[in-house]
Amino acid sequence: MVRFLAVRLSLIVLTLLVVSVVIFMVTEVLPGDAAQQALGQSVTPESLEALRAKWGLDRPCYVRYFDWIGSALQGDLGDSYKYNKPVVEIVGPRLYNSIILLVFAFVISVPTAVITGVWAGVRRSSFGDQFASIVSLVGISLPEFVTGILFIVIFASWLHWLPSSSILLPGTSPLTRPSILVLPTLTMTGVLFAYIMRMTRANVIDVMETNYVRTAILKGLPMRRIISRHIIPNAMLPTISVIAVNIGWMLGGLIIVENVFAYPGIGSLLLVAIQSRDVPILQALALLIAMTYAVSNLLADLSYGLLNPRIRIS
Amino acid sequence: MNEKQPEVAPLVQVDHLTVTFYTPTGVVHAVRDASFEILRSQVLGLVGESGCGKSTAAFAIMGYLQGVNRVDGYISFEGKDITKMSASEIRRLRGDRIAMVYQDPATSLNPSMRVGPQVEEVIRTNLRLGSEQAHERAVGLFESVGLADPENIGRRYPHELSGGMQQRIVIAMALACDPDLLIMDEPTTGLDVTTEATILDLVVDLKRRVRAGILFVSHNLGVIARVADRVAVMYAGQVIEQAPARELFKNTHHPYTAGLLSCVPRPISEDEVTTKLTSIPGVVYEASKDDIDACLFASRCPMVQDQCQEKAPEMFNAGHGHESRCFFWRDVPKGLWGKEIPREEIGHEGTSVLSAKNLRKFYGRWQRKYLFFGPQVKPPVRALVDADFDVKSGRTLGVVGESGSGKTTMARTVAGLTPRNRGELQLRGDDLAPEVEERSRQQRDALRMVFQNPTASLNPQLPISHAILRSLRKLAGLSRRESRERAAELLQAVGLDPGYLERLPGELSGGEQQRVALAGAFAGNAEIILADEAVSSLDVSVQAQVLDLLGKHQREEGTSYIFISHDLGVVRYVSDDILVLYAGHVAESGPADCVLKPPMHPYTEALLSAAPVPDPDAKPTSIRLPGAVPTLLERFQGCFFAGRCPRKIGPICDQSPPPPRIGSDDSDHIIYCHITADELKTIQQS
Amino acid sequence: MMTSNTIKGRDWTAVFRTGGSGITTSVRALKNQFMLAFRTPAGRIGLPIVLIHLTLALFGTWLAPYDATDFVGPQLDAPSWQFLMGTDVFGRDILSRVMSGAGSIIGISAAGALLGIALGTIVGMGSGYKGGKTDEVIMRIMDGLMSFPSLLMALLVLTIFASSEIGQRLPQEGWVILTIGIVFMPPISRVMRSTTLALKTQEFVQSARMRGEPAPYIIFREILPNTWSVLAVELSVRLSYAILLASSLGFLGLGVQPPSPDWGLMISESRRYIVAAPWVALAPAFAVASLIIGVNLLTDGIRQASRLPQKGTYP
Repeated sequence: MVRFLAVRLSLIVLTLLVVSVVIFMVTEVLPGDAAQQALGQSVTPESLEALRAKWGLDRPCYVRYFDWIGSALQGDLGDSYKYNKPVVEIVGPRLYNSIILLVFAFVISVPTAVITGVWAGVRRSSFGDQFASIVSLVGISLPEFVTGILFIVIFASWLHWLPSSSILLPGTSPLTRPSILVLPTLTMTGVLFAYIMRMTRANVIDVMETNYVRTAILKGLPMRRIISRHIIPNAMLPTISVIAVNIGWMLGGLIIVENVFAYPGIGSLLLVAIQSRDVPILQALALLIAMTYAVSNLLADLSYGLLNPRIRIS
Repeated sequence: MNEKQPEVAPLVQVDHLTVTFYTPTGVVHAVRDASFEILRSQVLGLVGESGCGKSTAAFAIMGYLQGVNRVDGYISFEGKDITKMSASEIRRLRGDRIAMVYQDPATSLNPSMRVGPQVEEVIRTNLRLGSEQAHERAVGLFESVGLADPENIGRRYPHELSGGMQQRIVIAMALACDPDLLIMDEPTTGLDVTTEATILDLVVDLKRRVRAGILFVSHNLGVIARVADRVAVMYAGQVIEQAPARELFKNTHHPYTAGLLSCVPRPISEDEVTTKLTSIPGVVYEASKDDIDACLFASRCPMVQDQCQEKAPEMFNAGHGHESRCFFWRDVPKGLWGKEIPREEIGHEGTSVLSAKNLRKFYGRWQRKYLFFGPQVKPPVRALVDADFDVKSGRTLGVVGESGSGKTTMARTVAGLTPRNRGELQLRGDDLAPEVEERSRQQRDALRMVFQNPTASLNPQLPISHAILRSLRKLAGLSRRESRERAAELLQAVGLDPGYLERLPGELSGGEQQRVALAGAFAGNAEIILADEAVSSLDVSVQAQVLDLLGKHQREEGTSYIFISHDLGVVRYVSDDILVLYAGHVAESGPADCVLKPPMHPYTEALLSAAPVPDPDAKPTSIRLPGAVPTLLERFQGCFFAGRCPRKIGPICDQSPPPPRIGSDDSDHIIYCHITADELKTIQQS
Repeated sequence: MMTSNTIKGRDWTAVFRTGGSGITTSVRALKNQFMLAFRTPAGRIGLPIVLIHLTLALFGTWLAPYDATDFVGPQLDAPSWQFLMGTDVFGRDILSRVMSGAGSIIGISAAGALLGIALGTIVGMGSGYKGGKTDEVIMRIMDGLMSFPSLLMALLVLTIFASSEIGQRLPQEGWVILTIGIVFMPPISRVMRSTTLALKTQEFVQSARMRGEPAPYIIFREILPNTWSVLAVELSVRLSYAILLASSLGFLGLGVQPPSPDWGLMISESRRYIVAAPWVALAPAFAVASLIIGVNLLTDGIRQASRLPQKGTYP
């Protein structure tokens, strides 16, 4: 177990290193350079040089990389070009909003998806299973912006139950106006639910075809016990890593959902940063998202290790 | 039904059972017509080759068949028809009255649950006992199936147990509620011979102890001969012969049974000679074909008559409880499948073609607790430790050992598929590079390999001509046209029609695929052919075809073989020299006669003693090895075999590695053991 | 989909053809995959849906009642017999725009998925077959790339490359295709690597090594034909993800540029009038959804046919 964790941890550190290099290269080295971008096409070489020297762009790129990663490790992510404020101040409140959305979506979708997945997998090919399978197939097929728009059409345009956008006054928490959270959460939940449910179902079906489930059946055990002691524990192992991977990838859906509903989180901030080429914010957000992914993977490995006797014992 | 003699009413009566599966790719007639009875305190052996429906019949008795199926006939268990029971009725029988032991214990146990609770839950469900009583009962069961430390073993997970221990757990689980019927489906297949022998001892012991009827399914006639009181032989979904065990083996009334018996290499006592093996031509009547009004064995039968093709034979009663599904059951002669021809002996001389000195292969390296630092926690796997051997020209070196003995590693290092860590390998005096890619064309041509799994050794997406043609062009250097002609000749030489060249491997049977693989190995000018378990995955009836082809090629071309197998019977049949491996170490090597007649190394002795013999009268020798092959992770202080050796003589075995010793008159016979030949003889006799 | 892949199979194997039946082997294997898929219920429903979309992709512009960019009616007109799906804010016929837009999204997605498969196959198979340190390093890099959600990755690549000076020379469609290809390479290379690792230990590969075949020969001639079932599933899964990704990029305004019809962009533009004119969004939303559902059904069919587990990676 110790060794297992040591391996996983060092792999994650390695991955994060690769990620930071990629982020740095993509945002700093490849696009020409930021001074050029800032001053435009009609500029004298002298003033360009001056700005480069001022921002430190004339130094070799590996020096700039270590400079950047060094201060990032100390919590200094630089100043935003667009807002002229420290990146941390801009990202902080937005991150809070996004986390609220994510937590709601996650708490709703994971348990329901797992329960439905087990239920459908155990009753393979029954009417209920086929119905759930069709619903989940539609679920994974609909892009977030389609689901979001459909929800707006139904709940805002026709039924007038909920607001069609989730705009917030700066400095207020979305928790003060829960109605604006409903549609974004539902949209995020849709895809997550469908995906985790399909995975759970597939894993349950795999486990049901194993010899040890056959043994359990031929031991004369009641079905309830076979499901709770023999099927679920073994089907959950691979499902956990799927769920963890989804935490990271949910952030991709976040970009779309926040834009559909104009919700002030990091997803909509990211798009603004991209459009205005706000490199420091872009770097910070990319690093944040990659770290979330890495941490959720680590959590998955941990729980996997704890649940799997093969790893726990050795 | 047996109203006159109620005391011998059979426990289970299977009557004209047919099981048909309807799959997307067609109808499968798994069981066509099977009738047999199981009595209390008796073992019925159900034997047959793969695809003959024996396992399906066993699962039908459990009322457990998967997929869309149809069951006809009836299976009466104490007078009630299992095929007509409701799901809940049958669930009450399972685990309680009828219990099962499976082929693969490793996958039959829940990997995420300790084994104790897995046994206790059967007791609690079926006997409605409290958890404390269930635990006590489980401990008792563990003790009765011969598990060491019965109090604590229940706290282990399946992956912490060896294959033999896992199977004992499964047996304990099956015995948990004192079942009336115990079904054992190939319970020793996949286990090592030494483990198999101890499990079979347990089954024989159970037969005496419990009142249950036992249905023992196996493809291995030797195993059946050890345990069964009565034997039913299945072929193409039909029971074709049934008799008390001794009667069936001595007085065979069906040509198929007679054929099966003559396909198995028989062990020899000191004075006997090895006889030539026979093979049954053709393939089993396929389960996908419809029932026909004819004998299903007719196309492969040497005594076939017109009548056999026109009418399906029924079961004829031959008296003494012996039944046969053959019109001519009276006339099945002794030497139906060929006379017992003594195998030609080759002299002991011969120059060395391939020699290995200190061949070593360790997998992996020391692993540390915290990846890059911390104490070393896991050593490399010592798969092959400093092995010496010679392959002589025109002779066969048989390599035998249990799983984990290093025989496959040896083959792979010799072939250059896995680079060796250390040691010399010389082909006719020239060094062989560790990796096959670095060897010269001549060297690659001289050393060819035949693999275990014929299905995997041919690319499933390419016609069978592909590998043969490539060998001819790459190694023999033939032109495109020449190689086509030569490929056709090669196929004919292995007894296949040249028209097969453009077929895909999937269209061929396992035996045919292995013959194609042989044709590929014969394609160049091989001096040595490495056969790694080349017949292990084949049914006995086709095993001999492949062995015969190998022998024929050797006589004609003078090729040398390295023949690797876990089956001592087969190794003994083909080998001129024998190398016995144990836990990555060479235990003994030398000419076959010196090694086996009589065995001079305790491990060889144990292997011989464990090998199942297809003869119910064979006296089972009592040498059994406890435990399992060591993990290969430890470095042995003393003798590599000391941990399991039944002949251990004292502390010297644990303290110093055994020196190589010349074992008999022949100077090529090397034994690694502290016990001298004379000492062993005294121990054996006492 | 079938045609493009058949052509791909021919191009790939012809290069490495030596034994005489390279084309037939690959084509036959792939054809079997699809033929079997059509026998499953999921495949039977999915196929007609995909075929309708393919017809639209090829002939949509020609079949459409109006020109996609012409202002033919009143602005934001509700669905009527004249404009079956209504009109948008410029008075363009929505049905015609949806029909004409099929070609670009299907073309871009298919090309992107194929590019990703080609890159991923080469990287994955090469890395897996080579093994050792090289494999470790390559897979670490792929892991790093995979820790970005694909949409984020695509956004970064697209904005930074496509808007740079050199980037302007390639049309936006080309950049979207390239982006999809790059984003898909890591997960595909993982799948192909594990497939290669499994096949590498197979005895026919060992047997080829013992004949002295060079590595490229073994990879492309011996191993590749045995990955068709995996590739068929991967192609179809990736196609649906590519459509998702491409339409999402369109929705964020980074796909096909106006006034060309793009389903994602149409939905994005409808957002402003969603309360007053919801029909503007409905037609393109239905089009994207049905296309992806059709492809996913087909994927399930192929999976069932090749008995591969119903698993895959999220985009």
